[in-house]
Amino acid sequence: MAVAETPISVTDHPGVEHEHEEAPARRGRWRRSLGVAVPGGMVALIVAACFLGPVLFDLPSPVGGNILESYLPAFSPGHLLGTDPNGNDILSRLLYGGRASLFIALAVNVLGLVVGGTLGALSGYLGGVVDTVIMRVLDVLIAFPSLVLTLAVAQALGPSMRNTIFALAFFSIPAFARVARSAVLRLREMPFMAAAQLCGTPAWRVLFKHLAPNTAPQLITFGMLGMGIVIIIEGALSFLGLGIPDPAPSWGNMVATGQLSLSATPMLVVWPSLALLVTVLSFNLLGENLRARWSGR
Amino acid sequence: MTTAALPQVPGTRDPRVSRTSRVTRFAGSPVLRLVVKRLLMAIPIMLGVTVLTFWVLSLIPGNAAQQLLGPEATPEQVAQLEEQLGLNRPGYVRYGEWLRGAVTGDLGRSIVSNQPVSDLLGERLPVTGELVLLAFVVSLVLAVPVALLAAHRPGGVWDRISMVVSTAGLSVANYVLALILVLVFAVQLGVLPAIGFTPLSEGLWPNVRSLILPSAAIGLPLFCFYARFLRGDLVDQMQQEEYVTTARAKGVGSWQVLIRHAFRNSSFGLITVVGLNLGALIGGTVIIEQIFALPGIGQMLLQAINTRDFIMVQAVVVVFALVAVVANLVVDLLYAVLDPRIRYGSR
Repeated sequence: MAVAETPISVTDHPGVEHEHEEAPARRGRWRRSLGVAVPGGMVALIVAACFLGPVLFDLPSPVGGNILESYLPAFSPGHLLGTDPNGNDILSRLLYGGRASLFIALAVNVLGLVVGGTLGALSGYLGGVVDTVIMRVLDVLIAFPSLVLTLAVAQALGPSMRNTIFALAFFSIPAFARVARSAVLRLREMPFMAAAQLCGTPAWRVLFKHLAPNTAPQLITFGMLGMGIVIIIEGALSFLGLGIPDPAPSWGNMVATGQLSLSATPMLVVWPSLALLVTVLSFNLLGENLRARWSGR
Repeated sequence: MTTAALPQVPGTRDPRVSRTSRVTRFAGSPVLRLVVKRLLMAIPIMLGVTVLTFWVLSLIPGNAAQQLLGPEATPEQVAQLEEQLGLNRPGYVRYGEWLRGAVTGDLGRSIVSNQPVSDLLGERLPVTGELVLLAFVVSLVLAVPVALLAAHRPGGVWDRISMVVSTAGLSVANYVLALILVLVFAVQLGVLPAIGFTPLSEGLWPNVRSLILPSAAIGLPLFCFYARFLRGDLVDQMQQEEYVTTARAKGVGSWQVLIRHAFRNSSFGLITVVGLNLGALIGGTVIIEQIFALPGIGQMLLQAINTRDFIMVQAVVVVFALVAVVANLVVDLLYAVLDPRIRYGSR
């Protein structure tokens, strides 16, 4: 049951394995490493573009544009992708907006991994009352519609990057906890766990030295898929005006601004949408292919 | 997941089970016990959800009194209205009062419009309900045939095409998809309305027509997800299960095995996922209703949060959580109805 909690985590594709059985082994291995390398390279490229791009190239500022230069078409001098209604450079806004999205997604997933992973591992390892209490609390968070919670938290704390991270962490934590718990429950029955316990290893050491390395692959692949989900939800929050506050760029609020003049200048929506799609797709593919690779050992 | 754990041909019954089942069927049937147990488990979850909402909402700076009077109101005026609306009392008192009403089915009155919450919900729930229903129809009608086609020959052309399409589809945010659909079908082609909702009273077709784009925006990513899930499960069944081997050995055709045998078992997994999704899905309607200006419950939620109408927010959250809890319960019951092994209490 725990598998179905997070939509994408259930989609295993055994067909890939099957396909490789028939293909020559070398071709299979080559393909498989390509399956990780290509999306991995895409992710690296996107990260580099967003974080190094504005440093290396002389880009116009993403905010405080000249209103006289609004709605410039693509390939205008000095504005490769044109400008938005406020005269801000779209390319620059895309890259700075990407910084915000990627940073938020990373922070939310690290928070989820550390807090949720620890809670889930503790819950699975200790069992009993601790397990019941932790899981019931997480059940409440899961039954709570996540977008409503993030909306309320975003409203409560006011729109800002830090508050968006906290708001989104509210639902990444139970998701990671679920994954960690089910992984630990499986590992708990393994002989090496019994061996560690017989040696008198303290619980914290078992958790960090024995369980953490063994659950890491699963949690990291889940985190990759989580990156995509968080980027989409962060976009939704910013779209509704509750994420990154307006003059600062974010893919979500760019889509929202573009929506106002959708019929006249559709490209204002297309660029940030494309950025969202390519980034999320890269993270999803990386996650799925890493999973296929690690589970198909 | 919930696929056949016992290598058993459907239709045969384990003799160890049937004897006890005859006794238990009437007295304490496992299905009845399951329902009661799940309902009891739902109570602390619902309590937790409502407490959490009250607490989170109490953190939001400003209250409905300030919002109603606007920024130019004097502190005395605000204090007076707070007094009138009962907002100056401590949170736990207001929660207790709200809970007492809610348990008896009285969800209170909107702080802002003073209309009974149940009336407002009654106006708006059908819109969201119809939207979600249509989205499910769109996604399932597409997903089942695509998954069957893909699973019929794993690694084949249709399988690859469907995997590529569904991977891409899963990476599209529904609000982006919504805008693309509006751009193509409303702006460029002009065949469907971009925004607005036509009630059912003005005819079935105008009603459905106004919901086609919103339900497609929700349903298409779901379709990708269900198609992938069902395809994976079908392939597992076809490769690992002994009843498939049996059926094949009897000379049943490959489509027959896939549809009549494997799909019947895989449908359990699909039902679970659909049920678990329902909670997330109804939360996801918030943004779609906002884009398409649909007068549904999600739009109401957003308005209520903006005007600090906490009684309304509370009501919407209760509805969302109830839907999630009930959907899970229905899934478990459907199992019991569909799967004889559970029906006769031998899990």
